[in-house]
Formats: sequence, structure tokens, C-alpha cells
Amino acid sequence: MSIDASEVRKIVVACDAGMGSSVMLASTVRKRLKGRDVEVAHTPVDHIPDDADVVLCHLGLVERARRKAPGRVVVPFQLFIGDPAVEKVLKALEQGGTIDG
Amino acid sequence: MADVVIGELLSPSSVRLGQVAPDWEAAVRQVGGLLVDAGAVEDGYVDAMVERERDVAPTFVGEGVAIPHGTLASRSLIRRDALCAVQFPAGVDWQGDRVVLCIGIAARGDLHVPVLAQLAELLMEPDRAEALRRAGTAEQLLALLTPEESAPT
Repeated sequence: MSIDASEVRKIVVACDAGMGSSVMLASTVRKRLKGRDVEVAHTPVDHIPDDADVVLCHLGLVERARRKAPGRVVVPFQLFIGDPAVEKVLKALEQGGTIDG
Repeated sequence: MADVVIGELLSPSSVRLGQVAPDWEAAVRQVGGLLVDAGAVEDGYVDAMVERERDVAPTFVGEGVAIPHGTLASRSLIRRDALCAVQFPAGVDWQGDRVVLCIGIAARGDLHVPVLAQLAELLMEPDRAEALRRAGTAEQLLALLTPEESAPT
């Protein structure tokens, strides 16, 4: 799956319960994208909304996320601070490009 | 969100400094015990916190910090949103990573979001992350974790 960064309106950060890790990553992504027309939400992986353009989720949850959000770009990450995969998504949103997942 | 009062979520009585734990599971049980003592969760929530670390993924977030919390299924065991903090100065092996500070979470809503956002900010700045890990009093730790937009000026 892939999507052009200019088409992204909503990023969902998903974790198991939607109360811890997804909240932390969503807050840093939201801050970085402040001023851009991109909504950043955090949800449990089983409740990923249909209008998510890009889903960021921990590597260990990626299969669950792909089952829950078929046809969506799902980008796995491992680190909550400075993850290269997350950085790549943010760079694409800031400078243009394609997001694969 | 700016009117969040950290005291409602995280009181000094739910902060423990200078603790020791032989392994991550014992550490999580200490953290969960504080949430039980605060009346924030049912006892079963603590088992769900252990299950989350073991079966889903460790909640290590970097810079020596983990944020243990329950699973989606265990949300029904939460009575009110609350946080707690436990410092382990000697470090605890966290399934391969080293953790010196746990921020325990029980949340059904989004009240705690500004505090976790503040935590994320601190961890991106090495000096403030170090200050958080080395906090000598509960008040110091709470001051660092207080969302900046709601901090007293």
C-alpha cells in the first residue's frame, strides 16, 4: 500500500489499549505537524477509524492493525523517540513524497 | 485540555522514589499496587498490566522510562483515571532495556493525554530526561511532569 503525502488528512497512532504508547507518539507527531491540515488521533488497534489515511503502530501489533484496517497504509515503528520509520512519514508530509506501508 | 490539574491524576502519595525491583514483573506489580491503593483500579488490573508487558509488547518508551498500563479488555477494571510514578535508581531489566522510572497509567478517557505529551517532550531533551530520572522528591517529579500550558506562572 502507498499514499501520496499530499492526500493524507488523518494519521492514527494505534496501540493495544489506546491509553499509553499511542498517546505519547501521537502527541509528538501532532506537535511536529502543527499548522498542517492533518489530524492526528490515538486509538486502540481494534478501533482504528475508517477515515485513517495512515496508521502508525508498534511492530508487535502490525498484523492486528492490517487486519483491522485493510487497504490502509500501516507503518510499523519500534522506537517512541526518533524512530526512522516515523521520521520518514513526517519528512514525506513536510517535504512531499510517498508513504509506503 | 489546558485546565488539566496534574494533582487529580497524579498525587505525591502515588509517587515512590528510590525503589528496588528484581525484575520487570515485580516492578509492574509495584506500580500497579499504587494504582490499586489510590482506589483507581480493581486488583485484576495489575495482572492485565503484566499481561500487556509480556504478551503484547513491553511499554519501554526510551530514556530509561516505561509506561506500564493494562490491556483494552481491562479498561472495565478502571474506576477513575490516574497515574503513578515509581523510580528504580539501580535500574530494572525490562526485557532487554534498562528502566529507572515507571509511569503507571489507568485511563478510560483522555484526561492524562497532556501529561503524557509533557513526558514525551521531556524525553526528547536529554537534560530534562536526566532530571526526571534523578528527581529527588515527589514534588520535583510532579513539577517536571506538569503540562507546561497549565503550569503556574
